[in-house]
Amino acid sequence: MASQPARVAEDAHGRRATFEEIEVGKVLGEMDWVVTDEMIDLQCEMDQDYDEWYSVASPWGGRIAPPQIQYRPPRWLLSRTYNVRGLFYKWEMENIKPILPNVTLHVVCRVVDKYVKNEREFVVYEAEATDPEGATVFRTRRTHVLDFVKRSAPRAATGIDSGIKPERV
Amino acid sequence: MKALLKAGVAVGDELPTVARKFRLEHFARADEKTIHTDVEAARREGMAEPVAIATHVGGLIFHQLRLSFGRGWVEGGTCSLTFRRPVAVTDFCEAQGVVTGREDLADGVRVACDVWIVNQTGQKVVVGTASCMLPRDAC
Repeated sequence: MASQPARVAEDAHGRRATFEEIEVGKVLGEMDWVVTDEMIDLQCEMDQDYDEWYSVASPWGGRIAPPQIQYRPPRWLLSRTYNVRGLFYKWEMENIKPILPNVTLHVVCRVVDKYVKNEREFVVYEAEATDPEGATVFRTRRTHVLDFVKRSAPRAATGIDSGIKPERV
Repeated sequence: MKALLKAGVAVGDELPTVARKFRLEHFARADEKTIHTDVEAARREGMAEPVAIATHVGGLIFHQLRLSFGRGWVEGGTCSLTFRRPVAVTDFCEAQGVVTGREDLADGVRVACDVWIVNQTGQKVVVGTASCMLPRDAC
């Protein structure tokens, strides 16, 4: 007899966050983040997206990072507060200024919504990054589904993967 | 970074396609067992097989927007994507798109697009919208 589906209750990094525990309005924290040349190289390699501006020089005086490199800091900040594995569902991004290497960006992130749709639970969070002059570099809004398995299944399984990851590109 | 879409961008213009055949190795991170690399890790989460990292899949659209709009993507670009269904780690995916509007603004022209990604069976696995700023003399 096939086993019944269950949502993951805990993984190697501890107990998974539940929908009830997620607090709308909660500030997930802030962090300083410096993109390095190595991180840009890795991002280009991962996406197989190469351009002179990403690899050599740009009108801003040096190379710039692919805008999508901004994915990680907000995700790290979510995981520092809530152990959510799940799946990425929506990604909104606004590229206001190019992301330059070796410039400290200050990233602030907070939960802005949570909802249930099609028997699955979602968390929505937003982040904004500013440069040392205080100018906004990017804004982003993310929606993450907490589990692939529907919420009618018990939260009883043990996971291998985790929402908590090493904080690297 | 040269923008492919320049003078005379019009509603209905198609964006260049960007395609990729994924392989499991594309998603490996050191020796971590994740839902992107390990069958058992994926099954514990209720999925039949490892799934592609969504940001790598979405990267096809960002690549497409870079090719299409150049600076207008990096500076002033917006994008909103919905990942409708998991992509398997061995799927073929192609980003497609079309210009849906253009709006004259004080500092240039904002070009709006529908963007999406289809897999090898033609299913739209990602759908969304994007917009980029272009200098007025480029439009």
